[in-house]
Amino acid sequence: MRLKDVIVGGAMTAAGILYLRMGNALPDRDGVDAATVPGVLAWMMIALGAIELAGALRRPALAGEARSSDAGGALTVGLTLALIAGFIAALRPLGFPIATALYLFLQFLVLTPRSGRPPVPLYAGLAVGSAAFIFATFRYGFDLLLPAGPLVAWLN
Amino acid sequence: MFDLLIQGFAAVLSLQIFMLMVAGVAVGIVFGAVPGLTAVMAIALCLPMTYGLGPAAGISLLIALFVGATSGGLISAILLKIPGTPSSIATTFDGAPMMEKGEGAKALGVGIVFSFLGTIASIAALAFIAPSLAKVALSFGPHEYFAIAVFSLTLIATLSSGSMAKGIFAGVLGFAVSTVGIAPVDATTRFTFGQVELNAGFSILTVLVGMFAVAEIIKVAETSRSQAAGVAPVIVKIKGFGFSMAEFLGQIPNAIRSALIGISIGILPGIGAGTSNIIAYIAAKKRSKTPEQFGKGTIEGVVASETANNAGIGGAMIPLLTLGIPGDAVTAIMLGGLMIHGIQPGPMLFLTQAPLVYTIFAALIVSAFLMLVLEFWCLRIFIRLLAIPKHILLPVILVLCAVGAFGLASRVFDIWTILAFGILGFGFVKAGIPTAPFIIGFILGPMAETSFRRGLQLSRGDYTGFLTNPISGTFLGLAVVSILWQTYSEIRASQRKAAAGLLKLGDET
Repeated sequence: MRLKDVIVGGAMTAAGILYLRMGNALPDRDGVDAATVPGVLAWMMIALGAIELAGALRRPALAGEARSSDAGGALTVGLTLALIAGFIAALRPLGFPIATALYLFLQFLVLTPRSGRPPVPLYAGLAVGSAAFIFATFRYGFDLLLPAGPLVAWLN
Repeated sequence: MFDLLIQGFAAVLSLQIFMLMVAGVAVGIVFGAVPGLTAVMAIALCLPMTYGLGPAAGISLLIALFVGATSGGLISAILLKIPGTPSSIATTFDGAPMMEKGEGAKALGVGIVFSFLGTIASIAALAFIAPSLAKVALSFGPHEYFAIAVFSLTLIATLSSGSMAKGIFAGVLGFAVSTVGIAPVDATTRFTFGQVELNAGFSILTVLVGMFAVAEIIKVAETSRSQAAGVAPVIVKIKGFGFSMAEFLGQIPNAIRSALIGISIGILPGIGAGTSNIIAYIAAKKRSKTPEQFGKGTIEGVVASETANNAGIGGAMIPLLTLGIPGDAVTAIMLGGLMIHGIQPGPMLFLTQAPLVYTIFAALIVSAFLMLVLEFWCLRIFIRLLAIPKHILLPVILVLCAVGAFGLASRVFDIWTILAFGILGFGFVKAGIPTAPFIIGFILGPMAETSFRRGLQLSRGDYTGFLTNPISGTFLGLAVVSILWQTYSEIRASQRKAAAGLLKLGDET
């Protein structure tokens, strides 16, 4: 049994079952309706998940399968996702320039390889400069009204 | 005809229009190269700038943007493994592995030259066979579209490296994601959870940016901390376009086939370069003497994808100019641009405004040459971009992706969507599920469902209508043959693998 493939097969089947339940909740009409195609797709997903699951259960486990996780990598991924989510959430209240500068600065720090010392002043300059350049290019060059946040009064 | 073409060139090569076109191609290339920014956005954002220009100058600028943006997608597809536009999805399959093998300059050179050739081939098709081709395309109804979509969907398995079940699942999931929003025909709201923003479904741009760009950033995040700092990639000196004449000549049949696919798909309303590049890639893989090299870094894959997507430019212009029907979002905006300048596309256009039609042809040809020259000149600059460490470059790209998503409808919701699809894309990477079939399912799904339901309405609920229609019947037959052939190939491959495994065991004992 190959654990990772079993999890993947299980997730595929679960996705199919979830989609089938959601499809069944759609209003019924005679003949082919809005639920017909989702129903067919859901059954296909369940069947494919079952095939993958059956194959995974028959396959021999890989040596060292359990040892392949990297806690440091997972932490960086988690921090990156949190930073992206924070950036999106901060776009309206803080405005694009401030939210972007903060995001870029923190993201540079999070992604910097462990072997090197992060050049903090350079990162700060790059973050502020990039945010200002992108904002100015799109707002004034292409008339795309990116949220300005508290800077709106000053910019207008 | 040639007199009119010369007049067109005279108009386009005037200093003002020529400079506008240089700027248009350059801006287009940047929009194409930056993930999240697309040809649609480049044209939409620059359209107001053309109001004050004359028809020839305005249309030439829009065409320059279109050509530049369609080609520019290859840059990030090869250098960053992130397709800049949907039309460059298949370029990543072999362009990125070539980059990893140290052949990035060659991949870029091949992409640039065959993008140019694809554009020129499609302009020739537009100029010589446009009206008759447009008539054929117009005769296609829901039955034909459904059959073409089903046939294209059956090709998904070809892109499923490793597990066929996972590949098909990805395609089915992509189709399932495309069902979010208002259903075709009866307008039932599906899977929106009461969110008004989901009524129109997910935009292809947010799906693409999430699945490729955001997922790539998360992937880099996983390993970036453990990498050595300051390790810059080796920058190889490039001669010419980075490939030999023998390699160029060897790709001519592949390029011709891909150009034909690009033009044919470009003509059909609703299917654009986002699909043609993948179909051309699959066709190239099936016809190749070395199909096992696909996905590992072969120029055949880059040639197929880049020729087909640029061939779609002329293809998409055929129904636009001859019938006034826009085939995709880019040509829809182009149609708006033409109308703003007092041009009404349609069958009468070639009679009433022939000089302007030939100015459009001339603008397309000049834009193709400008694209070739500018990208050749910038080839070395693109390669130098790699010297920027990924932990600096990718966050900036993510911000540009967010700008692109926001620019779709000025909604922060679309930026949340790219994050959601980024997490799904990263999940695909971890689970070993290929992303390309998901994108094909997402693009072709709505066409298949809508055409199926409309076709059934037309034939009053009779399913045999799909089989008795000659074009539809042929494509459905081809779909069945394709499934049977792929199943047979898969069984044979697994039998061979099992036999090889037994031989190995025998050797060990």
